[in-house]
Formats: sequence, structure tokens, C-alpha cells
Amino acid sequence: MWGVRLLAVCFWLLVWQLAAWAIDARIILVGPLEVLARLATLATTGEFWASAGISLGRIALGLVAGIVAGVALAAAASRVRVLRELLAPLVGALKAVPVASFVILVLLWVSSSSLSIVIAWIMAFPIIYANVLEGIEQTDPQLLEMADVFGVRPLDRLRLIYLSQVLPYFRVALSLALGLSWKAGIAAEVIGLPDLTIGEHLYDAKVYLDTPDLFAWTVAIVVVSVALEAIVGRALDAALARWEARP
Amino acid sequence: MSGGIALRGVDKRYGGIVVLAGASAVLDAGRAHLLTGPSGAGKTTLLRLVAGLERPDGGEVSLPSGARLAMTFQEDRLCENLTATANIRLPHAHLRGAALEAFLARERDALGAVGLPVDSRPVRELSGGQRRRVAILRAVLADADVLLFDEPLKGMDERTVERVMDFVCPLIAGKTVLWATHDPRERRFFPSPAQWEVRDGRILRT
Repeated sequence: MWGVRLLAVCFWLLVWQLAAWAIDARIILVGPLEVLARLATLATTGEFWASAGISLGRIALGLVAGIVAGVALAAAASRVRVLRELLAPLVGALKAVPVASFVILVLLWVSSSSLSIVIAWIMAFPIIYANVLEGIEQTDPQLLEMADVFGVRPLDRLRLIYLSQVLPYFRVALSLALGLSWKAGIAAEVIGLPDLTIGEHLYDAKVYLDTPDLFAWTVAIVVVSVALEAIVGRALDAALARWEARP
Repeated sequence: MSGGIALRGVDKRYGGIVVLAGASAVLDAGRAHLLTGPSGAGKTTLLRLVAGLERPDGGEVSLPSGARLAMTFQEDRLCENLTATANIRLPHAHLRGAALEAFLARERDALGAVGLPVDSRPVRELSGGQRRRVAILRAVLADADVLLFDEPLKGMDERTVERVMDFVCPLIAGKTVLWATHDPRERRFFPSPAQWEVRDGRILRT
């Protein structure tokens, strides 16, 4: 399976390289070899790591805040019908409004350096909220009945029944929110142009028609995205497996 | 706990179907009550009423105040991603430290006694028969005053039944037990049970 996947990737890299040679215009298309070389050069600069770190830090802050708010409000909304109805249009709007509109609007409210935090929050919150709420709603009523009969304490009910039913939903939501927040956060940086961020470098590449830079930063963005998802996903799976195996 | 379970003129309907109609019985505390009757006669409904999971449409069900309950259901009702020990310990999930260790030791002995492995697998990986035994252990180790069993041995092979009941009987002796079954042979597990039959919406002493 992995072999087939790898072959397919190699095939498209080859197509890309051949196309770059055929077109032979760096401004339109750079081949993977040149992109890799550019990325390697960039990676030796302090500015590259500082920009990646600042972008990642801000977006992660927004994402974590979105997770906290999403989980807390989903828990509250599952108990309080009014809150749930009240939040429904807000969550719907957050999901439906294009991210570019939010970016421009939010720029009027906050400084460009805080922009990606807010945008990451806007991306993460509705996904986490909707999925966690769905998980709580799907909690097996037969298990809740059982807990009633046995007089299981509220905290234990939350910990052992609700949590274990909600975790799979949370796992899916986190994976989705992670990718979306990261990409939307970078897009916000391209528009807001905060200093020393990945978005600013992407914008510079556009202004100076520096296509190798554009491709190199894009590869960096994808690598971070894939790595984050793998690390967070594995950490969560490991934590889940450890939790399940408790005596 | 003192005093038994009393049903006074209990009516229960589901939609147009009358399950219980004026059912009355006094179930003495501290003994086993065998509940027989054909499928669909209302044994499960009766247990659910006693467990407080259903409200009677008429009449009254009373339990001694402060009675702690334990129950096995028609389904296993286990937390799929917890181990057997974590499931059995659910009513005692607040235990910590030495008390937790002591209960864990009790659980491991119990699992061994009924032929279940002690390992770190979540119960979703256990077989149907194994899961049933976990549900039974959860009920008998719950330190309850009133234990409700809804056909707990259904579908279990003869050897496993003997093994499980060898372990269970001493633990539930002297407690108020309601044991619903369709198999009259299960009477042998209880020294002098009160026998009841649910029929035509009533509970009859037999």
C-alpha cells in the first residue's frame, strides 16, 4: 500500500519536473528540485525559523482558544436548550461566511499581529463546538440509564460515560480544525501582513514575482500541516489507548 | 436497609398495549424473588419500575429509602472503551489509593472465578458471553441492597452458568434479589426463593 502511494507521489513529482523543464520559465513554474534547493537555503536563515515559529505560535493560540470555547459551550449547550438555540445562528454564520470577509472585518478591530489568532479561533470554534455537541447528543441513553440505576456520581459519569463517547467526535473535529486554522491563519497573514510571518513572506514572493520563494514557503506550510496533524493525531491516539487500558 | 419492595395496584401501558394492570405484590427484603412468565409478559417492565426507570401510569412502587440498586439489563450496557475492571468498578469509580487497590484485587479475583481474563483490553474486544459476565460482576460487586437481574444467564452454556453462579450465589445471599428468568431450573441457585409469575398484567405468588 505504502509502496503504491510512494510510486504515485514520485510519478507526479516527475511530471512536475518535466513540465518545469518544458515550460522553462521560472516565473511561471519552478521544478521540485529547484524548490527543494530554495527551501534548503531558506532553512539556514534565522528569519525562516522565526517566521514559522511566530505564525505557528499565534495560530496555535487561536486554535487552543477555539477548542476550549468549543468544548465548554458544547457542554453547556447540551444542558441548556436556550443557549443551544441562541448559539445555532452564530455557529452557522461562522461556518458560512467566507474567511476573506472575516479577515478584512477583523483587521478593522484588532492589530495585524493578532489577526491570525482571531481567524484560527473562528475556524476552530464552530467545528469543535458542533462535533462535541453531536458526540454528547449521541451518548447512549441506555448507558445513562444504567448509571442512574447504579447511582454513578456526576463526575464519574462525565469522566467515564460522556467523555468516552465524545472522544471519537473530538478526535475527528480536532484533525479538521487543525488543518483549517493553519491554512486560514496563513491566508489572513497574507492579507494583514504582520511582520516576520509566513504570510508576509508569501506576499513578498508575490510582489517580487519570486516563484521559487512562493513554492518553497508553500512546501514549508504543507510540511508543518502534515507534521502537526501526525504529531497531534498520534499523541491523542496514544493518550486514548493508555486511557482505555486503565485497569 | 429494612423493609421490602411494595407494588400497589400498578398499571403500566406502552401506547395501547397494557403490560401491567393493577399489579400488587410485597417483595420481602433480604431474600431472592424469582420472577417467571412468558416473554413479553412484563418481567422487564416490572424490573424497570422497581429500578425507577419507568413511572407507573397508576398505583405506586415503593422501595426502602436510601436503598442502593444494582441491575443487569437485557443488553450488557457496558462502556465499550473501558476495560472489564473499569466497567465493573463504575459504581465505585471514585475510589482512590488503598481502597482502589483493594477493590481492584477483588475484581481480579472475581474475573478469575468466572473464567474471564484479566488484561488491558477494552470490553469491545470481548466476546458476547464474556461481556455478559462482566455485566453480572458489575451488579454483584456494586455493594447494592437491591439487585435486579433481567435474564442474566440467557444464552450462557451450562458449564459457564455453574461457574458464574458458584461465585455469584454467596455474594447475593441475604440481599433483596429480583431474578427474572424464563428457565424454571434456575430456581436451584436459591435456597428458598419466593416465586412469582407475571401473567395477564398481574404478579401472582406461585
